[in-house]
Amino acid sequence: MIEFTRRKLLGSSTAALFLEAISSKAEDAFRLGLTPVFLDNDAEVIDQLRTALAAALGVPIELEQRRTYEEVTGLLLEGSVDAAWLCGYPYLQHRDALSLVAVPVWNGKSLYQSYLIAGKDDTAMTLEDLRGGTHAFSDPDSNSGYLVTASDLARLGLRPEGFFRRTIFTYGHRNVVRAVSDGLVRSGSVDGYVWEALAKAEPGLTAGTRVIARSEWLGFPPFCARSDRMKDNRLLALGDALLGLDQTDEGRVALGVLQLDGMTTGGPELYDGIESRIRDYENLR
Amino acid sequence: MDGFRRIPLSLRVPLLTAGLMVLLGVVASQQVLSTLGKVQDARIRELAQLQIEALSVALGPHVLRDDIWEIYDTLERAAGETKGRRMIFTVVADENGRVMAATDPVRAPLDSPISALTEGAQTAQTLSVTGDAVQVRLLAPLRYQGRTVGQIMTELDVADLISERLRAGQLLLLGNAVATGVLSILGYLAMRRMLMPIARLVRRMRETADAPEPIPESDLPRGDTEMTRLVKTYNAMTDAVEAKAETERRLAERERFVSLGRLSSSLAHEINNPLGGLLNAADTIRQYSDRPDVVRQSADILTRGLNHLRDVAQATLDQNRLDRSSAPLTFEDFEDLRLLIGPEVSRQEQKLRWQIGASGEALSTFASAPIRQILLNLLLNASAAAGAKGEVSLLVSEKPGVLCLIVEDSGDGLSDAARTRLLSDAPVPPGGGVGLRLVHDLVKELNGCIRSERADHITIVDVTVPLQQSGMPPPC
Repeated sequence: MIEFTRRKLLGSSTAALFLEAISSKAEDAFRLGLTPVFLDNDAEVIDQLRTALAAALGVPIELEQRRTYEEVTGLLLEGSVDAAWLCGYPYLQHRDALSLVAVPVWNGKSLYQSYLIAGKDDTAMTLEDLRGGTHAFSDPDSNSGYLVTASDLARLGLRPEGFFRRTIFTYGHRNVVRAVSDGLVRSGSVDGYVWEALAKAEPGLTAGTRVIARSEWLGFPPFCARSDRMKDNRLLALGDALLGLDQTDEGRVALGVLQLDGMTTGGPELYDGIESRIRDYENLR
Repeated sequence: MDGFRRIPLSLRVPLLTAGLMVLLGVVASQQVLSTLGKVQDARIRELAQLQIEALSVALGPHVLRDDIWEIYDTLERAAGETKGRRMIFTVVADENGRVMAATDPVRAPLDSPISALTEGAQTAQTLSVTGDAVQVRLLAPLRYQGRTVGQIMTELDVADLISERLRAGQLLLLGNAVATGVLSILGYLAMRRMLMPIARLVRRMRETADAPEPIPESDLPRGDTEMTRLVKTYNAMTDAVEAKAETERRLAERERFVSLGRLSSSLAHEINNPLGGLLNAADTIRQYSDRPDVVRQSADILTRGLNHLRDVAQATLDQNRLDRSSAPLTFEDFEDLRLLIGPEVSRQEQKLRWQIGASGEALSTFASAPIRQILLNLLLNASAAAGAKGEVSLLVSEKPGVLCLIVEDSGDGLSDAARTRLLSDAPVPPGGGVGLRLVHDLVKELNGCIRSERADHITIVDVTVPLQQSGMPPPC
């Protein structure tokens, strides 16, 4: 009786401790890193995304924003965030350590383009016409905001700093549009998805710019996590939440403000185009 | 200036006061505007300094890192916060003067020289909003961590300050115009009031017909001011003039009595002397009435004496009658004069030379009374001067446009007092007769002149008078 009682007590204690640990873990906030890949200046976008993911995951969501892609990627790699919405370029740079969780669907595809833009009154028709001008990039680790134009130039045997008289980094696609529209620089490299979204949300801003060239379709910026944590329940739950965003009211609202159709799974092959550009770019280096 | 001097003093001084008030208003307005300008300058300098310091703190790290976008974004945000306020354009350049970013990138392109935009720019220490420019440029070094890393040029909108100063200027102008106007009017009225005694004095003096009238005591300015003393002095002067006129009246009266006395003595002499003879003749007739030759002789004496008396009476009557009338001068007047002077000449056994060489036409241009008076006085004076057994002459001649009356005597000549009375306008010294001064005044009234000289022991008084109604100018 006593032994039974002791075993029973021990079992009860162990069960209580286990339950407490589960409960504590469930209460931990999920940290999601964000790059300025989308309309990061819009507080409403961030709020809606947080609300939708929190509802789906059942835990508070902490959205970690940094100025550069490099900083956010660093947070993900060191484990300071559970997952991050990265660009295809940093994903490929760290493909050994990172895995895809979900890929947004925009206009029915998980693809987007990089736009080369100039002032609305600028007469340039091609990249070559912009030689000797000033140019705004978004981020050195951005595919659409840097790699595409840099690789285009690399294919011509040129470097951005040699082709353009002056290049600047604005660390935000929206900022690239502002810089070109305001006349701070002559041209810029911007995410086509962001430009199109801005054209609907802030038509006055994009009205000051003109798209000179569009790149080929490339893999849309994905949600990534460390490969070694992909089996983690929280990440599995995140994958389910992202893929099911279009199934909940909060998710649809978030997708609406993001002007996305939904989320899907995607393999590394989706980013072969970017991979090709990376090679061309690095060959010149 | 001459025109201003012609304005009466009572108007000129108030006008001058009003002018000074206007000048004072202008100077005061200028001072206020100047002070306002200084206050505005201090305000804009402080504001600009704060803005520059704030921008330096915000931009310093970005300029140091050559982060163009962050510089631009910071400027944009700063401009957005101050939209509609002071800073309307700001540009940041690196330490080499190349533009890094500006709130209007089209106006200040990236890498263009900032010097193209800094023309007329002021420093934070000398920033001033004087002038009419509604925008001022400020160029300041961008200092970060104790060293200069670039430059900031900003255009400040000072339209509100200019407008404030303009409004203050207009209000001042209006206020000062009203204040100056009121003060000018008050000053004008005060001056008019202060100068009223002078105006009254001037009016009194101007309106004076013959003798100045004193200002009544009731009209005297109160207190013991210069005006009071001036009016009192004027009143004292009018009293003196009145006293002088009174003295002259008394002198004239005395002269009249003197003349009357002289006439009386002449008459007495002319009548009394023969009267004794006539009475003796009457006694002789009464005593020797039985002797026809004596009675006849005495009757002849009586007849001659009475005839003489009749002549004397006639002459006196004629003189009085002529005095009262303005009958023209005739030869008879000279005969009357001879008759009047005759007894005196006879008494002193003097020799009388009488020569009238003027035409009756010339004589008739004169009234008889003044010429008779002139000659009678001169002849009596000459007779008195000549003394017993002396010589007296009257020579009347006519020259072109003038009548010459020359009276000579063999006396010792005119005394200084007599010369003064006869020949000058100087006041008559006390004592002495007024006959010669009367001659002087009468000749002056006739626009004539008197000369006196002495030659060969003869005293000559030469009176020259222009023929009246001839339009001739005074002979001397």
